[in-house]
Amino acid sequence: MRPYILPMLAAVLLALVPLVVEDSYTRHLFIVAFVYAIIASNWDLSLGYAGLFNFGHLGFFATGVYTAAIAAKTLAITPWLAMPLGGVTAALAALLIAAPVARLRGIYVVLVTFAFAQLMLQLILSQSHITGGAGGMVGIPGLEIGEYRFIRDRKLGYYHVSLGLLVLSTIHLLFLTKSSFGRSLLALRDNEDYARARGVSIARQRVMALVLSAVFPGVAGGFFAIYLRVAAPEVLGFGTLSLALSMVLIGGSASIFGPILAAIALTFATEAMAGIRGMEEARFVVVAIGMVLVLRFAPGGMIRIMDGGGKR
Amino acid sequence: MTRFLDVQNVTAGYGSVTVLRGISLHVDKGENVGLFGPNGHGKTTLMRVLSGLMRASEGTCWFNGQDISRTRTPQIVERGLVQSQQGNTLFGDMGVAETLEMAAFSKSARRKAEANLHYVYTLFPRLAERKTQLAKTLSGGERQMLSIGAALMCAPRLLMLDEPTLGLSPRLKEELAQALKEISMNVPLIVVEQDVELLLSLSDRLYLIEHGEVTREIGEENTPDQREIMHMYFGEHAE
Amino acid sequence: MIETVISTLLSGIVLGALYALMASGLSMIWTTLGVFNFTHGALMMIGAFMAWTVSEAIGLGIYAGLVAGIGATALLGVIIEYMVIRPFHGRANMILITVMTTLAVMIILEKSAQMIWGPRLKQLPRLIEGDVSIFGAVISAHEALIVVLAPVILIALWVFATRTMVGRSLRAVGQNQDAAALLGINVPLTFAIAFGLGAALAGLTGVLLGGIRFVTPNLGVEPIIKAMTVVIFGGLGSLGATVGAAFVIGFAEAFLILVVGLYWTPFALFIGLILVLIFRPNGLFGRA
Repeated sequence: MRPYILPMLAAVLLALVPLVVEDSYTRHLFIVAFVYAIIASNWDLSLGYAGLFNFGHLGFFATGVYTAAIAAKTLAITPWLAMPLGGVTAALAALLIAAPVARLRGIYVVLVTFAFAQLMLQLILSQSHITGGAGGMVGIPGLEIGEYRFIRDRKLGYYHVSLGLLVLSTIHLLFLTKSSFGRSLLALRDNEDYARARGVSIARQRVMALVLSAVFPGVAGGFFAIYLRVAAPEVLGFGTLSLALSMVLIGGSASIFGPILAAIALTFATEAMAGIRGMEEARFVVVAIGMVLVLRFAPGGMIRIMDGGGKR
Repeated sequence: MTRFLDVQNVTAGYGSVTVLRGISLHVDKGENVGLFGPNGHGKTTLMRVLSGLMRASEGTCWFNGQDISRTRTPQIVERGLVQSQQGNTLFGDMGVAETLEMAAFSKSARRKAEANLHYVYTLFPRLAERKTQLAKTLSGGERQMLSIGAALMCAPRLLMLDEPTLGLSPRLKEELAQALKEISMNVPLIVVEQDVELLLSLSDRLYLIEHGEVTREIGEENTPDQREIMHMYFGEHAE
Repeated sequence: MIETVISTLLSGIVLGALYALMASGLSMIWTTLGVFNFTHGALMMIGAFMAWTVSEAIGLGIYAGLVAGIGATALLGVIIEYMVIRPFHGRANMILITVMTTLAVMIILEKSAQMIWGPRLKQLPRLIEGDVSIFGAVISAHEALIVVLAPVILIALWVFATRTMVGRSLRAVGQNQDAAALLGINVPLTFAIAFGLGAALAGLTGVLLGGIRFVTPNLGVEPIIKAMTVVIFGGLGSLGATVGAAFVIGFAEAFLILVVGLYWTPFALFIGLILVLIFRPNGLFGRA
């Protein structure tokens, strides 16, 4: 349990943050950061741990966003159910994409997963009678218990729901990576031939890694739609992609906590930059440059620099 | 006597693994030199260092009076130190003639390209018969010939051959050995070879390389017999 | 009925020619360097914007713009190779790293274009004005030019790769770097040439695209996806496979639009792509 004392402490501290931070904008940033943290750390399971060149993770997130939006608004299902439904459809999407990915190698995995995310975008844009097209969907029902609406008390309810999701997602990831499944993923990544010789089924492991890493981003997507009460195709844009990818890289791949920390830091940093006049677009340039610099000079990511070692 | 190639105390390796440990050897003008010894003891690494594919961490290599320790591969080839790699398939999707024509890449090689091409085809008639065939469809022996032929197209002044007869059938090996003897009369050679008899017939001097060092030098005056060679290979020095 | 078929065939040819142009530079960089260049689409966009600046903003005409667009992207390509490809050369997971660095550069180029040229729609003049009628179906002369130009450029590229010293050295480096170096070929220089050339092809494609589409910072997004589809479909092996796949997809798209409509076409293409990959993991014309 020792290594988890720090994260547990961090979770408790984060739960206490609303006592200190009372303005709803800063709380909003925390919520967005938690959502990004879920995307980045789960993406890291397939990209970092499984060594699967998966660039379609935002596709799973978007699946969750639109599932929850359509379920809650169009089908009038309670948002409490619409959110986890996002996780279910995201896992199904992952299962679908896993079929070809399990058989492919290297660059083809990049291309197919990337194309998948782009296809999602085109589907959203073209099926505008269902998805609202480029304008997106608005007026999605928010969370409430009885008469209490979660937007009240300066988003206090949403803050705790998003933090709760992040904690659950992190436990899910820790459990997976410490299990024999997690070890077999690493073995597969580091020495495919050896792992194969030991009877590890590559196809099965890849399918599992992809599906298991899609669930929480899907739920987070569902939450995002319910929280913002908007579903917009921008979630699949290159801006979002570069931001999420840079969180994985800058945080340190195959480290879980690295991407989470990076997600929180980068969300606040880019949000701060967006506040500066003329930086609305330039902030993405800054993030992209940061990404290249990290790849060049600190390939292990920031968390490994803090650990004192540069290597895995 | 002028030294054509002079390797002085060269140390080199891959990452944390040191392969060459301060090796020194030389080739004089007009002589052929053979290298032999167990696998994994530094012969190929030495050739990579000489060609500039790897850098020596210590020591210097002199070729024809110039320090080439920091020179890049294309310039080394241009100066005439050319290597044919071990078991090399060269460029699988390129034809035989195309490969040979391209191999005369440097300016100096360019000028002699036509004569050299003719020379390669007379040396290896099998290549002349397969001009348009893709390299990946050639047999092992033919690939070896193509690799040596390509090296010859570079207009070498000193040619390094890394195990040219590795894995060849006795008949092909005989054919290739014949060609190598022919080459050795025109171009000085450094040959790495496991077959010491072949090596002796090609070279004026031999170096035994073990653990990244020269452990023995063999000239005409101390030619070993079969039994001695076996001992060198299997390390029964405690006799 | 016959008219519909002819016009569909014609639009298939136009699409195929465009896709072949879009994908050939990408395919060349892949075969030489083993780098999948995500900046390819963004380079098309930069080419179009540079051409617009020289042709419209400065007023030197579209042909000067064409030269400027190609020149600028070639130079940019060499710089990109030097900055984000070369430092990672020889690393174990170079494919993955360069996917990420070129993705990053793509973002940088797109956002920079947005800051430099603004979001307003721009249009490039066509290289030739007027329309061409073929068996009753009408396409613009500009599109007809693309159909003619594409094979010319691709054949020129093929001749360059197989007959010239530089072209052959590009292929040699792509197949075996050490052996190429041992023949005296300057490998880093070859990388720069390949990347510059691939970028120049992107620039040219961008200028041609600018005559039929609006020039915006997002101009390159659809083309890079299309180029990607083409190379997955054809397999990242050779120029021939890429061109073949480009025309297969061009015709397939033209007919799918006819059958399932514009909106479902990308979806149908993607399903086709997945099916191809399941049965032939190295692409339609790829080798194991």
